[in-house]
Amino acid sequence: MTITDRLFNRLVLGAVVIGFLSLLAAGGLIAWSIQRNQDYNLAVDHTYQVRTAVYQYRVLAERAEAARRGYLLKPDDRYRQVFAETADALPRAFDQLVDLTRDNPRQQERLDDLRPLAAMQSALMRQSAGLVQRGRQIAAVGVFRNDNNLETMQSMRTILSQISAEEDQLLKDRTARQERGVAFLKWSLGLTMLLLLAVAGGSVFVIFQYTRDLNRSRRDLFKLNASLESAVEDRTVDLRRANDEIQRFAYIVSHDLRSPLVNIMGFTSELEAATKPLEELVTRIEAETPDLLTDEARDAVRTDLPEAAGFIRASTQKMDRLINAILRLSRDGRRVLAPEPLNMHGLVAGIAASLRHRTDEIGATLTIEPLPDLVSDRVAMEQILSNLIENATKYLKPGRPGEITVRGRMDGIRALYEVQDNGRGIDPKDHDRIFDLFRRSGVQDQPGEGIGLAHVRALAYRLGGVISCESELDQGATFRLSLPAVLLPERAAE
Amino acid sequence: MTHPVTIVMIEDDEGHARLIEKNIRRAGINNEIRHFLDGTSALEFLESAHDGPSLNGPALILLDLNLPDMSGTDILSRIKGKEGPLKRTPVVVLTTTDDKVEIQRCYDLGCNVYITKPVNYEAFAQAIRQLGLFLSVIQVPDIDGAA
Repeated sequence: MTITDRLFNRLVLGAVVIGFLSLLAAGGLIAWSIQRNQDYNLAVDHTYQVRTAVYQYRVLAERAEAARRGYLLKPDDRYRQVFAETADALPRAFDQLVDLTRDNPRQQERLDDLRPLAAMQSALMRQSAGLVQRGRQIAAVGVFRNDNNLETMQSMRTILSQISAEEDQLLKDRTARQERGVAFLKWSLGLTMLLLLAVAGGSVFVIFQYTRDLNRSRRDLFKLNASLESAVEDRTVDLRRANDEIQRFAYIVSHDLRSPLVNIMGFTSELEAATKPLEELVTRIEAETPDLLTDEARDAVRTDLPEAAGFIRASTQKMDRLINAILRLSRDGRRVLAPEPLNMHGLVAGIAASLRHRTDEIGATLTIEPLPDLVSDRVAMEQILSNLIENATKYLKPGRPGEITVRGRMDGIRALYEVQDNGRGIDPKDHDRIFDLFRRSGVQDQPGEGIGLAHVRALAYRLGGVISCESELDQGATFRLSLPAVLLPERAAE
Repeated sequence: MTHPVTIVMIEDDEGHARLIEKNIRRAGINNEIRHFLDGTSALEFLESAHDGPSLNGPALILLDLNLPDMSGTDILSRIKGKEGPLKRTPVVVLTTTDDKVEIQRCYDLGCNVYITKPVNYEAFAQAIRQLGLFLSVIQVPDIDGAA
């Protein structure tokens, strides 16, 4: 991921977070606004209640006054009754008014002003009503004429009007506030809507973008995978071609090397054959005219020539064996492996039987422990194991009865085989060397060209395995072979 | 009817040629031996020389497979591929290659005998001498009689 990518991702994440935070804030704002509107509504409601209460009180007061006046004019018991009811209701109505306006000190002040007036008026009314009831109507009218009830009523009305006016003003204010609150709520809702749209749109855009990127990466990955596979395929083909090339090279070299060898051998033999008449001549001259014969001529014919021919011959023979070894390795490399289920115990027993003659001769014992079976190439397995077992019989310690053990076990999907002997062992510094072509280790008292283990390792590699050696001088040696339990058939070379 | 059989030896290695000739002579074969070092000149002789096997006289071909200018199997398929006297000329492949596939291929192409040159000289000499004995007894188709 590049820096700009990371920056872009951070920006997107930041924008999304800010968007959601704004939405949250908008939600809070709306909730708060609704709550406030509710408060406004309650306040307006309260004002209405107060107005109603004022109105009721005023009606009651007027009705009481009217009833008293009626009673004064005509002492009808119904007037008295209406008066009594309304006069009784007045203090309750007043108290209600006080209760309702408890939150407004100005109204309380006005009510405080109203209270003595109301009390006075109430007392006057009760007094005149009482006089009338006791039949003293004239006295009552006299009192009525002289009390200032008109002024008192006037004052009460003024105060009550003030209260109403105050409440009207409050109502106007509160209604205006309520309307403003509703407008504010509307705006908030609209804004939130826009914000919501923006955040949703942004999120959809980002998701779309990411999905597209994801799809593109997936396609790229798919393509990459495909190309990787074909790259592996190409490499495998290259490798196989290189391997084939090496095999062909080894094959051609070994063949072309053989050709001059035929000449060297042939003409060496011709030389040897030519030496014979010379030898006869020297013998004859030696017998007949020894004076003619020089020591050099005699030595040349009798010693130097046969010796030279002998060395040439021995070297050529050795070279022939080496070339044959290379040829064999190259052939084994070219041979197509044919994996088949192998009964390993049977296979090793077969090798043991073919070596019985030799093991009996040197008094060695060969023990075969249980071996895991595997699917592999029979010829290659036979060559590997017979080489290892043969080596074990070849390099025993003189004077110590040979004990050779072949054992094996499964190790996951690989089969492990060991060929152990109690022979003379291999110097640890030579453990790698012994697997190289034409390299040997220890006392060179056994025939061989140093080919066997190189061959074994090449075969083990071809079977997808590895071989290692564990040994100390005089401590015997253990060769450990690890192979895939199932060898897959090779694909035919292109 | 007594055209002596000519031995045509196609062999790029002069040493080998010399050794082969020596041992054939030792086997008591005294026929003329025509030696060619490369495929081109050999084919020219075989196909168009007036004393070559196509036009005149029976012959026997000793063929090495590893030649500088062409593969011995190409020469073999040229010899055995066309109808005519040349096709009936016996071909003895004498080479260092002992690859099974190569041997099979030579016989498929119509080679009459395939001999591997042993590196061991005694064996080599023995093989050539036996070839000489073989040459002394085989009957080669008569060109005139066939024509």
